[in-house]
Amino acid sequence: MIYHSIYITVLIILAVMIFACLIRAIKGPRIADRLVAVNMIGTMVMVMIAVLALMLNEGYLVDVCLVYAMISFLAVVILSKVYIGIYEENRHSADSDEKEDKGGMSDGNF
Amino acid sequence: MGTFDWIRLILGCIFLIIGLVIFFTELFGVFHFHYVLNRMHAAAMGDTLGIASCLIGLIIFSGFNFTSLKLLLIIIFLWFASPVSSHVLARLEVATNENLESYCRIYTDLQTLEDDVINQPQSDSLTEAASGGSAAEQDTKGGALS
Repeated sequence: MIYHSIYITVLIILAVMIFACLIRAIKGPRIADRLVAVNMIGTMVMVMIAVLALMLNEGYLVDVCLVYAMISFLAVVILSKVYIGIYEENRHSADSDEKEDKGGMSDGNF
Repeated sequence: MGTFDWIRLILGCIFLIIGLVIFFTELFGVFHFHYVLNRMHAAAMGDTLGIASCLIGLIIFSGFNFTSLKLLLIIIFLWFASPVSSHVLARLEVATNENLESYCRIYTDLQTLEDDVINQPQSDSLTEAASGGSAAEQDTKGGALS
């Protein structure tokens, strides 16, 4: 009974923190701000899943947590690589446009 | 409940509370700093220390079985994964920000950074310059390697 109330309290605190992280992810001015906030949300959701695994006494939820950790790591790495690639591509196309006509626009605000 | 159960409950609660406090510190840092490379420092702390404390508390609650071994595996995986993701995020920021010099000082040579650190050892801007400079330094190294 006392364990159950401890788990419920931890889950409520983590849910409030996840909402605050969501505010940061929406407000963040740059793309790296949003990725950092999404990474934090992933970490807190991992703790929530681990707490649920002990609260419901279901051992397989810990496996879900492990897979969640791997997929969250993979998402951050791949999104960063994709955004670096898009940025380089835009810059190269802007450079080639500037060579063709002199009024090429610079998309620095990415 | 015997004495051992009470000790286990209190110890697990202490670790859980430490983990939640570290998560709150991470959140405060992310809202307090003004630039991504500063925010990343606070965010990476929660990824390793915060989740490690929370999961150690849960391991103490759970006792010694396969569930606690899997929780330990999650901690060890995140110890390896979190610095890598922070490094990749810093590279993303440094590679895509065009006016990076307005946010932090950039050292393209490591010798310049060492001279700068030795020449002003007690100033306030030391930590800021060192953190921003090391991120840029890492990026130039990584760019040269790749």
